[in-house]
Amino acid sequence: MSTINFAAREINCKIVYYGPGMSGKTTNLKHVFSKVPGHLRGEMVSLATEDERTLFFDFLPLDLGSVQGFKTRFHLYTVPGQVFYNASRKLILRGVDGIVFVADSAPNRLRANAESMRNLRENLQEHGIDVRDVPIVLQINKRDLPDALPTSMIRAVIDPKQELQMFEAMSDKGVGVFETLKTVSRLVLERLSQNK
Amino acid sequence: MIEPTLALYGDAFERVDQHIQELLETTGVRYGLLVDRKGFVLSHKEALWAPRPPALDSVATLVASNAAATAALANMLGERTFSEQIHQGENGTLYVESVGTDSLLTLIFDASVPLGKVKVYAKKTITQIAAILDELKDLPPVQLNDDFSQGAASLLDDLLG
Repeated sequence: MSTINFAAREINCKIVYYGPGMSGKTTNLKHVFSKVPGHLRGEMVSLATEDERTLFFDFLPLDLGSVQGFKTRFHLYTVPGQVFYNASRKLILRGVDGIVFVADSAPNRLRANAESMRNLRENLQEHGIDVRDVPIVLQINKRDLPDALPTSMIRAVIDPKQELQMFEAMSDKGVGVFETLKTVSRLVLERLSQNK
Repeated sequence: MIEPTLALYGDAFERVDQHIQELLETTGVRYGLLVDRKGFVLSHKEALWAPRPPALDSVATLVASNAAATAALANMLGERTFSEQIHQGENGTLYVESVGTDSLLTLIFDASVPLGKVKVYAKKTITQIAAILDELKDLPPVQLNDDFSQGAASLLDDLLG
């Protein structure tokens, strides 16, 4: 649930990028950071290891502007994708308003995609919420890999019922990054005005 | 809803602001923030003489994540949570203490300010703020209408193209 601060007339929403290790979550945020004009974004905070693998999270605040007198902001987070960082991954999911699941197109990462999605469901459940209660958008990343699997195959594994909106992306080139973010933001805002 | 929502507004907000301001004046603390456990700044005050603070969003996010991480650690040790954290550097101190269950009072001050004094006064402020936050729980939730959704969508178009 979003934090609404009436005095400062601010609405804050939290969006988390989830997915297996090395699927491109941080790259997504870096692209947003590099393209959004400076006065609309804050500083990007990265807690990463020396080889730039996310250790705890990356964080980027974005200003949408004022809607009906409410200053509306998004806080974007990524989680560490590696399997053994689940404790910190779970912490970052606290209070989430929207999720982008970044899946990897490489054939040898198909199982990792599936495991990460299952892990997401488990972690949400531990926080006491149903997957259906949070807007989730799928991003199938690294479409430019020569041996990239067909999107239908990846989707069959992580979203067999085809309930989620899906985008193809090449996050290192910026393709699909904004489309994904825009969709998840819109879903979060819609939910906000429905007062759910 | 995963994490309880805090909506701080109007009269309550001003009272919280006032308490933090008073705390700053009596103790000589540089910056005082009330941060919710999700990492959003609910209220902040800085001493008039203090230099420009670091990016507050970043501070709030890191303080909240740190609190979340140490709470997980507390659970492993059989505690519900650690209510108080002090990070002491060479030139300054970061002092974080829980206010009720949903928010954290964060105080940043330099080496000239005695920690003991800050702790004593902070506890008093926390009791006052916690009482205000408790009152807020009974208020009705915020209603936003469809116009809000449309307005926000068009801003999204502007921002993300």
